[in-house]
Amino acid sequence: MSNKAIVYSEVQQSGWGYYGVLMAGMALVGLGLIAFFYLEHTGHYVTGMNNQIVWGLPHVFAIFLIVAASGILNIGSIGTVFNNKAYQPLGRLSGLLAISCLIGGLMVLVLDLGRPDRLIIAMTHYNFKSIFAWNIILYNGFLALVGLYVWAMMDHKIQYLYKPVGFAAFFWRLVLTAGTGSIFGFLVAREAYDSAIFAPLFILISFALGLALFILISYVLFTGAQRVLSKDLLKRKRYLLALFMGAVLFFEAIFHITALYAAEHSHFEQFILSGASGYSLWFWLGHIVLGSIVPLCLLLLPWWREQVSSLLGAAALVVMGSFIQLYVIIIGGQAYPLTLFPNATVESSFFDGVIHTYTPTVWELMLGVGGVGVTLVMIMIGVKVLRFLPVSLATAASGDIE
Amino acid sequence: MSAIFKTLKPLLVLLAGVWILVGCEAGPPPTNLAPAKAKAAQCVEPTADIRKNHMAYLMQHRDATVLAGIRSKQYSLVECINCHVDPKRADGSAVHYEDRDHFCASCHTYVGVKIDCFQCHADRPELANQTNYQHKLGSAESYHFSHQLGTPAVLSLQDLQTITSGGVQ
Amino acid sequence: MTKNLVNEYRRRFLAGLGLMVGATLLPELSNTQAADVTARPENEPASSHKRWGMLIDVKRLTDGGAAMVAACQHEHGWGHDPQASAEQQAQWMRVVKVTDKQTLHSFSLPVMCQHCEKPPCVDVCPTGASMKRADGIVYVNKHTCIGCRYCMMACPYKARSFVHEPLKDQKPHSPRGIGTVESCNLCVHRIDKGQLPACVEAAPHAVIFGDLQDPDSRISQALKASGGTQIRADLGLNPQVYYLNI
Ligand code: HEC
Ligand code: HEC
Ligand code: HEC
Repeated sequence: MSNKAIVYSEVQQSGWGYYGVLMAGMALVGLGLIAFFYLEHTGHYVTGMNNQIVWGLPHVFAIFLIVAASGILNIGSIGTVFNNKAYQPLGRLSGLLAISCLIGGLMVLVLDLGRPDRLIIAMTHYNFKSIFAWNIILYNGFLALVGLYVWAMMDHKIQYLYKPVGFAAFFWRLVLTAGTGSIFGFLVAREAYDSAIFAPLFILISFALGLALFILISYVLFTGAQRVLSKDLLKRKRYLLALFMGAVLFFEAIFHITALYAAEHSHFEQFILSGASGYSLWFWLGHIVLGSIVPLCLLLLPWWREQVSSLLGAAALVVMGSFIQLYVIIIGGQAYPLTLFPNATVESSFFDGVIHTYTPTVWELMLGVGGVGVTLVMIMIGVKVLRFLPVSLATAASGDIE
Repeated sequence: MSAIFKTLKPLLVLLAGVWILVGCEAGPPPTNLAPAKAKAAQCVEPTADIRKNHMAYLMQHRDATVLAGIRSKQYSLVECINCHVDPKRADGSAVHYEDRDHFCASCHTYVGVKIDCFQCHADRPELANQTNYQHKLGSAESYHFSHQLGTPAVLSLQDLQTITSGGVQ
Repeated sequence: MTKNLVNEYRRRFLAGLGLMVGATLLPELSNTQAADVTARPENEPASSHKRWGMLIDVKRLTDGGAAMVAACQHEHGWGHDPQASAEQQAQWMRVVKVTDKQTLHSFSLPVMCQHCEKPPCVDVCPTGASMKRADGIVYVNKHTCIGCRYCMMACPYKARSFVHEPLKDQKPHSPRGIGTVESCNLCVHRIDKGQLPACVEAAPHAVIFGDLQDPDSRISQALKASGGTQIRADLGLNPQVYYLNI
């Protein structure tokens, strides 16, 4: 916290812009709650999920938000752990966004349980062999650590905690994302998963997704509150985003190529990469072209790269592309049938041996956007009641150009 | 006529009020003990004890059963229901936990206790003559259909050996 | 003294005779399924000295196991949940038709929970609701299941189903209900009483059930004599359900 010059303040605006966003967030939360109570009452038969596709759209939303949460914290960590002073003024905001995203994601995850009323059991009965149980601990620890981290940034009395807690939060978030990826990585039976590469892949996705989301949200907040974002910082973020996306693409390429060569994964790879299913279209068009190549062009090609709008456009595309990527991983991975007998075809009344179909219903969508709503509401209220937003970044940044 | 009614009206209202108040004073509704009393004189524990502690017994026994496999009858939920609940009312309709006259529901609605047990557990005994209790679309016919096949009823070890030595492909 | 000797002689003779008769009867007796499971005193917990297993001779199942599936359905009351779509319908057990890609040779077999020795569903369950009992039976403790469905993701055999709606009038001995995961429990309620699982009873000519830890049990003998194949043995989970002629 070396930058004493930085002044933070609550958002003063209370016009239509602020309340409009807040109301929109609350409306989304309302939709989520309606869906939750309806599902709790009728059971999951009103959703598109079934005994083949057991995790659906709500889980895509949940994992999207959880991965984003850990990624968004990077902004703070770059300031704390890597001592980059330009990023330090954004530490508080990054903490707020991380907590908000995580809570939004967890809410979706919890409300989609078959028996959400038994949440207390999930908190009191731990099976320590289960990555899921570890994740529950990791999520709770993340909330506590980031809370403390933000506190240490705000309260001079415990400023001495800023560095150690910042480091702890950074390592914790790496473990957390690895844990989230490992939910899939350890499923021996599923051709689509069962790969140790899921842990690092999820970490990289979180880097790119978190940064992109941070760029978008901070831009909206700063311009909405009529505060100055430093041009210099935006430029730095542009290169960082391009770097992270490159890393994701590189890892994905390794992942898919090794899988193509491994006999037990090659059929699934063909299904995802060149299958007639919709998933390969999503993968190539949604994730690779629109979610990676186009934003990379926007960020790097000389015609566009100087414009703020192309940075924002790229960030938005990356957010969308990451969502699609997670959709393909989670849903596409389940759509491919299990292998009961290698070298034989199987058929049964239980949909053995066929590509499973999944059509989400409006309830799942409502549940998912409910989580986004929680995130939104938490952010909007947070910046209004506490001093998360720097009044201006212009001075801090310009004093810091090397 | 209407004059009489007019004079009586306050009285009627008063009576209704008294009746409602008396209803409030009545304490817990009487539990329907008839089915149980037809089968036994006593509960599995003294009445005062079971009234107070049945949840503890049930919770303890359910873990003993599901985790360890202990199948004693004393605190078995199936047995409670078998003894305490008739499959049907006198008029032939089914009694369910949602109804106030279900044995387990009578006190619970009064004290406002919510239990989820009967989301899974049957809340009334199975009817002996109703082979296909749960569903109309049934498999009762096909249940023993393998016995109608011409195959020997029991696979002997020798049988097995001859088959397998003959042709494991 | 002499009288006693005679008595003793007579006792020995009778015992010997008894043994001989017994010896000839023994294989016969042990061929009946009734001896495969013995009742355990009701207040005794399941023992780790037993490990229940099943051997299914696919060739002798002329219906591919349809009768076994029907018996399971009848015993536990799944498969006709009124609201669930076909994809959402629970199936504890199903008949799978397998066709070899090269030879086009095909056969059908019943597939249900294979009761792995190292069950992935138990490893992944966050609350420990997915469990393996001392005698090797794998099932869900529905009292602590929160319905997260991670076990369904982990099961290599697709043996588990989720209940998608509120149910009424379940079988008293097999409670099933909304929002929890369920699967074949090897009819624990029957085994504990000394009865065979319903599906085994429905196909006595093709299935042997018994204690895999007892070298003299019919199933151990049969496995010794004829081998037996586990589905996806390559995963190393050591299921307790074996098949013949697949
Ligand atoms: C064999 C039959 C039988 C079984 C089994 C049985 N009960 Fe009872 N129960 C009775 C009888 C009879 C009474 C009434 C005793 C009396 O008149 O005092 C009774 C009374 C009760 C009462 C008190 C009701 C009141 O109005 O105060 C409760 C509560 C109760 N039983 C719960 C249970 C529970 C829980 C179980 C299962 C663990 C169970 N019972 C098993 C026969 C049975
Ligand atoms: C989600 C479904 C579900 C719910 C809810 C549920 N149970 Fe169970 N219960 C089961 C299953 C499955 C068994 C195992 C049956 C068996 O193995 O025979 C069982 C077994 C039991 C047993 C041992 C068997 C017997 O009848 O004695 C008891 C006691 C029991 N439950 C009590 C309860 C009580 C009390 C509640 C409510 C607080 C409850 N259960 C709620 C599914 C459920
Ligand atoms: C005499 C009235 C009475 C009857 C009859 C009765 N209960 Fe209860 N039960 C209660 C009361 C009162 C409580 C709440 C105790 C408390 O909260 O401390 C309770 C609580 C319970 C609980 C624990 C709920 C929880 O979440 O803590 C279970 C389980 C339960 N009852 C099962 C049954 C079953 C099954 C039957 C029918 C066989 C039954 N009860 C019949 C009065 C009764």
